Amino acid sequence: MKKIVVFLLILVFLSPFAYFIVASVAVNYRFPLLWPEGWTMDNWQQIFRTNNGLFDSVFTSLLISVVTAAVSTSAGFVISKTLAYHTKRSLFNILAYLPYSFSPVIYAYCLYFFFNKSQLSGHIVGVLLAQFILTFPFSIILFLNHWNTELKAVEELTYTLGGSVTQAWRRVIIPMSKSILLLCFFQTFLISWFEYGLTSVIGLGKVHTLTIKVYQYIGESNLGFAALASCLLVFPPLILLWFNRHFMLANNNQYA
Amino acid sequence: MFLAIHHLCKSFDNNVILDNIQLTLNQGQTLSILGKSGCGKTTFLKTIAGLLRQDQGTIILEHNDISTQPPQQREAVYIYQQPLLFPHLSVYENIAFGLHLRKISPSVIREKTMAMLDDLELVAHAQKMPEVLSGGQRQRVSFGRALIIAPKLLLLDEPFGALDTETRTSMQVFFKKMAKQHQITAIFVTHDLKEAVLMGDNLALMERGQIHVYDHLEAFIQDSRTGMNQEIKFWKTLFRND
Repeated sequence: MKKIVVFLLILVFLSPFAYFIVASVAVNYRFPLLWPEGWTMDNWQQIFRTNNGLFDSVFTSLLISVVTAAVSTSAGFVISKTLAYHTKRSLFNILAYLPYSFSPVIYAYCLYFFFNKSQLSGHIVGVLLAQFILTFPFSIILFLNHWNTELKAVEELTYTLGGSVTQAWRRVIIPMSKSILLLCFFQTFLISWFEYGLTSVIGLGKVHTLTIKVYQYIGESNLGFAALASCLLVFPPLILLWFNRHFMLANNNQYA
Repeated sequence: MFLAIHHLCKSFDNNVILDNIQLTLNQGQTLSILGKSGCGKTTFLKTIAGLLRQDQGTIILEHNDISTQPPQQREAVYIYQQPLLFPHLSVYENIAFGLHLRKISPSVIREKTMAMLDDLELVAHAQKMPEVLSGGQRQRVSFGRALIIAPKLLLLDEPFGALDTETRTSMQVFFKKMAKQHQITAIFVTHDLKEAVLMGDNLALMERGQIHVYDHLEAFIQDSRTGMNQEIKFWKTLFRND
């Protein structure tokens, strides 16, 4: 019975992905047909054709997500340390939740004026900055609980053993925080990778990320391309998930 | 005097934690400070280590005024109640840590670390990770990590407080042996009366931010604030009743 339930759960989880793959290689696959009339790799071959911009959007999405995740993880890690040991720690914690208290689109419209004034709207740098504003508080929330009295004591001990601030970070703090750093990078990458509302408002439709492309194809009723773009949207996070799990487990085994 | 502390004061939000502390300590000696929780023991040790800055007063270590030096330059290692071993490093790497910080040649690091592992009776555990060690073994690694860099001063903040009675006793014996072997100058704070008497060459009592150093054991016993006299009376009464 347990095996059947697990099997059904896996089936439920995997079926949308299987559908994306099928729809991306199907010919004339429309409701109420249960099965497509034929198969083609045309959509997949289109990725590398320059005129549809799909390859560019994969690259743009990857660039934005990797940069956003790297910057918000590293900045969040360093800045959260100061906030965590500050007397007003709980106030900072509450403030970090503020961007998540309303929808990203409303948040984007609140920020839009400033981005427009600074001529950053409709530009990849503007989208990067907007996504950083969204992911940075997340990393602060994640790291605030990481900085505890034990980690502080270990850091102080390193100083009394003769270690400089740089040595303490390089040899103690970062290695001891490897798991949470990877976790934060992964989570902020995902937030950025699937972000639509903020990107569409600040990007003014000029910054073509993969999520923007998916919505564009859906709007055009282009089922094949929408399914293809969805496949491309799903695979990098799956690879990252595997990568993250692999390193997290290796890290945990090292401590075992 | 090897260590001389003059008029040391420290307050937090108008709460006086260290109140005009004065003491001296000879090289190779251990000063046991007995004190209840919240009497300012940790603040006192952290101030000497340079982890907290005093409001007033000077700390002279081996004729050098270290009062304004950062902890890295003071050569005073602070040992916590918890061993605080680096979880990502093996026993060997934990002990060699301070030497690596000083960028000493690998052959010297290996020689010194192996000698320390031998002293600590931990050679067989050299490649193990801290998580698989017992509480006593971890604390021994913690001592080894501090001693290998030959600090001028060891500051011990209830180092055996988290250990069970049996391990605690063996660690007290171990510390005495190591203190003699390495000629350690140390300040050992504890709230355990017996441990204070056992570990210290000199005895002191810390109360409400002030430290009273006793000239000899008899004076420590006679001072009612230490509780030593009551302890002796208790055991005498117990044996008399037997």
